[in-house]
Amino acid sequence: MQKSTRLGPFAASLSLAVLGFSALPAVAQAPKDSVTICQTLEPPILDPTGGAAAAIREVTYDNVFETLLAYNGEGRIEPRLAEKIDSSADGLTHTITLRSGVTFHDGAALTAEDVKFSFERAMAPDSKNSQKWIFAPIDRIEARDARTVVITLKSFAGDFLDGLAWADATIFSAKSADKAATEPVGTGPYQFVRWNRGDRLLLKRNENYWGKKPTIPNATFRFISDPQAQVAALTAGDCDAHTNLSAPEAVPQLRANAALRVTIGRTEGETIVAMNNSKPPFNNPKVREAISKAIDRSQVNEGAISGFGTLIGTHFSPNHPAYVDLTGAVKYDPAAAKKLLAEAGFPNGFSVTLRLPPPAYAQRGGEIVAAMLGQVGIKVSIEPVQWAQWLERVYRQRDYDLTIVAHVEPLDINIYARDGYYFGYNSEAVKAAVARTKSAKTEAERNAAYQEAQRLITADHANVYLFMLPKITVSRAGLTGMWTNWPVPANPLAALSWQ
Amino acid sequence: MITRALRHPSFVVGLAITLLVVLVAVIAAFWTPHDATAMRISARLRPPSATNWFGTDQFGRDVLSMLMMGARNALLVGVVAVGIGLSIGVALGMVAATREGSLLDEAIMRICDFTFAFPAVLTAILILTFLGPGLVNAIIAIGIFNIPVFARIARGAALQVMARDYIRAARAAGRTTFGILYRHVLPNITGILIVQASVQFALAILAEAGLSYLGIGTQPPNPSWGRMLNDSQTFLSQASYLAIFPGAAIALAVLGFNLLGDGLRDVLDPKSKER
Repeated sequence: MQKSTRLGPFAASLSLAVLGFSALPAVAQAPKDSVTICQTLEPPILDPTGGAAAAIREVTYDNVFETLLAYNGEGRIEPRLAEKIDSSADGLTHTITLRSGVTFHDGAALTAEDVKFSFERAMAPDSKNSQKWIFAPIDRIEARDARTVVITLKSFAGDFLDGLAWADATIFSAKSADKAATEPVGTGPYQFVRWNRGDRLLLKRNENYWGKKPTIPNATFRFISDPQAQVAALTAGDCDAHTNLSAPEAVPQLRANAALRVTIGRTEGETIVAMNNSKPPFNNPKVREAISKAIDRSQVNEGAISGFGTLIGTHFSPNHPAYVDLTGAVKYDPAAAKKLLAEAGFPNGFSVTLRLPPPAYAQRGGEIVAAMLGQVGIKVSIEPVQWAQWLERVYRQRDYDLTIVAHVEPLDINIYARDGYYFGYNSEAVKAAVARTKSAKTEAERNAAYQEAQRLITADHANVYLFMLPKITVSRAGLTGMWTNWPVPANPLAALSWQ
Repeated sequence: MITRALRHPSFVVGLAITLLVVLVAVIAAFWTPHDATAMRISARLRPPSATNWFGTDQFGRDVLSMLMMGARNALLVGVVAVGIGLSIGVALGMVAATREGSLLDEAIMRICDFTFAFPAVLTAILILTFLGPGLVNAIIAIGIFNIPVFARIARGAALQVMARDYIRAARAAGRTTFGILYRHVLPNITGILIVQASVQFALAILAEAGLSYLGIGTQPPNPSWGRMLNDSQTFLSQASYLAIFPGAAIALAVLGFNLLGDGLRDVLDPKSKER
């Protein structure tokens, strides 16, 4: 009797397993009607206007939510919900005509009122929008008729229309915007189904989508932060793609796998050794120059991310036409660094703390940088911190000496003109150049201003510019359409298809 | 007693392993095959070879040299942390024993009970959160959670000894309390303390490895077995040897001290003498 009760559940699970096995081949043979995209970080919320986390954009941008204009995979801006935009000669009035036949996932039609509502929501004093500069020049927004929005600016802003392509300028419906953080309702090609926190997020095709309908009916985002687990999930076929692999050292192994394709692309993430410019001894330009010369960037690139990064010499992305190649401006030269330190009054070096956030590029890069600075007599003690601590102590309170971090926003050289920013950097010349990037009327004028700003910050040795973070995309052979580069953090699913 | 000890298998094996670890640590103080902290990025993640017997890590550092320096750090933590626990704990325990049932005794023992209520590593993490990460702070933290262990044992053993006739005789002869504790009680509880110390030594090594694994113990570039194990995690499928060597080192060292402790207990414990 006792024996049979013990056997009971075992026999049941055995028969279930048999059933499961017999059902399996049928599933495998069915046409692939779903795709599972794995990414490293899980978004804290799903409203891209409610936080700065890139993971929010990676899931929702051009999938659930849409913007008036949008970035494509090559980094060019194309119309999305806006059919056309007429700008006045002085650049102060923009008349936006919305596409017709666009509906939200709840069935409501997109109207000019929704655009007015979304932008006013983003501009509100209590809004948590992380890119309020986009809306700062707006004087008033008028919904002229159902499909026409007229935006009048207070002053000319050359980057205003570019800003409308950012996820921070997402268009919501007034009815559903409040729930966007957990139950997003947008106009995109995919609609939200379910979010199992800590594990995955399910989407399905929007059958009423205004544009070309996606070929894959169901999509899942899975969140796997452990690098080895990412590799295992790809090898086992649990993931059809990983958006940016955290284990660069696994690339040779994955490349050898015929079932997988690996591409190395670029993000907009300028990875830098940030120095607290306002704090001694970093307020001395000679000390900053010495630190810049003591660090061999190519070695950091090799050791921290297997050499997949693109070396930079300034805080600007090589993807942008205004990029100036300044990688040769500061050469690795420990002897010169020692001399500079002696000239600055530190012949025996000094002691500093290097606060490192959790990502591997920072942790590994930090150990290498600490060893290199040790070679010229700067004694570095490493202090690992969690993101929350990093944001509070380093970013907000500016309580640090050195840190390593990637700045992932595109065109973010304007941070060098910001008072009170955590670099503690202050240069009137850079402020003027950044102001000119806003006031410039032509592309050439704007690019010239960007180039001047790049040269100025490099000449000042404001920070040590290491490399652009790579985007290591791994996808199953047969799956096409994954973005190779990340001009903005996004994984548009509508472009994916199975061959 | 020595011949009896040498016939005890776990004592002999434990002693041999312990001596090996100590030997490696002593050698590391003077010589390692390569500089344990020197990075050679171009030679990163090389499998074991003639030049790097245990391979190189993600920064091209020699794993064998790091393991040797790690042994030194592990022993340092063991000696100092157990030393802190032993000296303070035994003093507190014996003082409590002389005042059995007094408020002082109660206070000391209740504080010990309170500390015992928290798992040791959790206590250490808590202490390190206040003190900040680092090798010295890790030693202090591990030392602190060793104190109640020795306080309890010392008190219990001292109470047994103090009930003996020769203690009464010493008291009658006018010996001071301190004199009695030092001359008569301490020598009689040394055996049990040595056994406990070797067990705590193994635990201290394990605790340091655990804390360093969590990133709050020994800080880079100072090599630590626990840190090496943590670092190896992301390279598990590319360079499994990075996990195997420090893992084996921790297991071996802990096994050695535990076997030694077991052997010593059998040799020194009065009860096993009667057998």
